[in-house]
Amino acid sequence: MSVSTSGKLAELVSRKRVIICVGSGGVGKTTTSAIIALQEAKRGKKVIVLTIDPAKRLANALGLASFTGKAQKVELEMEGELWAMMLDMKACFDEVVVRYAPPESRDEILSNRIYEYFSTSLAGTQEYAASERLYQLYESGEYDLIVLDTPPTTHALDFLEAPNRLGDAVNSRALQWLYKPTVFAGKKGLGVFSMGTTYVVRILSKLTGAQLLEEFSTFLSAFSTLFDGLQERGKAVRDLLSRDESTFIVVSTPDPLTLKEAAFFYEKLGKDQNTVGAFVINRVHDFGIDDEDLRRPIVNISTKLDTQFENPRSVAQKLVDIASKYSTLKKQDFRAMKDLKNNVSGDVPIVYMPYFDRDIHNAEGLERARLELFDKEKRI
Amino acid sequence: MKSDLYKRRLVLFTGKGGVGKTTVASAFALSCAKRGMKTLLMQVNAKDRIGAIFNQDPIGEEMVELGPNLYCVNSTPASAMREYALMTLKIKIIYRAVFENKIVQSFLNAIPGISELVLLGKAYYHAAVEKRGKKRRWDIVVLDAPATGHGIFLLKIPSVVTSIIESGHMFEEAERMKAMLEDPEFTSVNIVTLLEDLPINESKMLSETLQEELNIAVDYIFANKVLSNPFTEEEENTLHRLEDSDTLLDSLFQSARFHGARVASQKKYADILKEKIDCFTIEIPYFFDGADRAEQIEKISKIISTQLNQTGEVE
Repeated sequence: MSVSTSGKLAELVSRKRVIICVGSGGVGKTTTSAIIALQEAKRGKKVIVLTIDPAKRLANALGLASFTGKAQKVELEMEGELWAMMLDMKACFDEVVVRYAPPESRDEILSNRIYEYFSTSLAGTQEYAASERLYQLYESGEYDLIVLDTPPTTHALDFLEAPNRLGDAVNSRALQWLYKPTVFAGKKGLGVFSMGTTYVVRILSKLTGAQLLEEFSTFLSAFSTLFDGLQERGKAVRDLLSRDESTFIVVSTPDPLTLKEAAFFYEKLGKDQNTVGAFVINRVHDFGIDDEDLRRPIVNISTKLDTQFENPRSVAQKLVDIASKYSTLKKQDFRAMKDLKNNVSGDVPIVYMPYFDRDIHNAEGLERARLELFDKEKRI
Repeated sequence: MKSDLYKRRLVLFTGKGGVGKTTVASAFALSCAKRGMKTLLMQVNAKDRIGAIFNQDPIGEEMVELGPNLYCVNSTPASAMREYALMTLKIKIIYRAVFENKIVQSFLNAIPGISELVLLGKAYYHAAVEKRGKKRRWDIVVLDAPATGHGIFLLKIPSVVTSIIESGHMFEEAERMKAMLEDPEFTSVNIVTLLEDLPINESKMLSETLQEELNIAVDYIFANKVLSNPFTEEEENTLHRLEDSDTLLDSLFQSARFHGARVASQKKYADILKEKIDCFTIEIPYFFDGADRAEQIEKISKIISTQLNQTGEVE
């Protein structure tokens, strides 16, 4: 089977090892990630698509019965291999602990109550675990390409900031002061801390309760044994993401507000020196009727329907009404995409997908979408 | 009997990303304001969309008046933390000395879940505590909550806190928030969805998690962007049979068939939704002319108000 690589998007994904799909919620990121992975697997590569989304939608789109934190092979006929994996945060964090913590503090961390919540259910940690898993997959060298689907909305950028945030937090004096209070005792010139550690502790514990501070401090002193490892890892992930073999693809719909957010991702990623390789705009209305035809008398249409319908005039009117609605949508969609194009540097392709009349939730639908995206690439 | 949303004090909207939570929350808030209720529409740590919806400047941490009886605020963890700390400590100078210190700030940033806690705390304050003179400042607080995953984090945080610590100021706050969320007379949690496969699966998962882990029963489902078909069944069948005889008819039929297929697919998912979640559904029609959002919100608010009236208890 021949798989086209002549389109700009096909060319882009063919030469990357790490592809990260970002964008607002509900724009089809997961499906787009799966399509990109499918494309390269069809070209003979061993590809894995990693999703963070707790809704497990990738399983639906790939026709998998269920999803686990372990890589699963998609049983479809293709040149290469397609693997799918869901992020299991708890397992992912436990692995980090086991890898970096000295044996004596391992159990203390794993059984700490704060750790339990920290590793599974709090915002930001999901993103950290994703970047950790991404790096593990990359490092394993098992896959020719890793496609990562990020969590939705404004938090998508947390994914990028998570390694920084954890690294910085870990590095911060405040944390060290909390788990190693003696380090700062008696030192001068540390701003608030010169007022005396106990004073600050008193104020903070008024806010959080002394017990929370204490629990947190216990957690930190155990967790601090991991800090060097985490920091190193955070830096490695940042490096990987800024390298030439990685790219970001911003996924959106043509809704003007959503496209505005897409432009925001583009700017933000540009600033952080991670390159956006392409935009993929899903669900674009690309049909309707010309304005000229819209102005024709209804009778011109209804006469053509005479033999078919009991009330051809009413049917003709309804047909024109509906078609004109879709023409309006088409105009809106293309205007919004052109606005985006004006805000983006010329060599970043903006590829769009027509709106399908049914949802993609099986292998057939996915293949149809793959052909649309790559073989029949449509650009603005 | 269905619950009367207009009698609740805190009304939340959550659901899958991109389904129109902000639109529905805004429209519901507008319908409250139109009833003469003093209404606060809250976003948490969001990239503001409400400003654009009401044709105004982006909304930030400062409260903004959107119209008669309708106010809006977009809270960030930093602003909520500042307000919370000031309220707790009562003395500004201590706050400045301690909290505006970079080291302490990075410490607070590093405590997992603290953002969610102070944001929820702010919603609690506006809904349950805040007064103007002797009267409550707000009759109702409408919360445009984060999407599924982060939305659950937000609602879960009081339980997480109370399971980690057993006493102290924050423990008491968390206890109060938990009680507020579990009181169906006070708080109402609603799910916004589209009539599509994945949003519906996610809605089901969300309503189960809310019930099982948080003891919260979902009040209403708001199905957004619902299409209707102008053709009779007979006409529809004929349309599918017809060969395209020229290019004009071809493009007309293409639109009609696309529309018909979307309507049929929505209907299928509406049935699945009824099967999966035992909730009354409010249907919001799809608007083809997306040009004037303020006008659209106005229309949607009327539709919501009418449908809520028909469900029973509402006057």
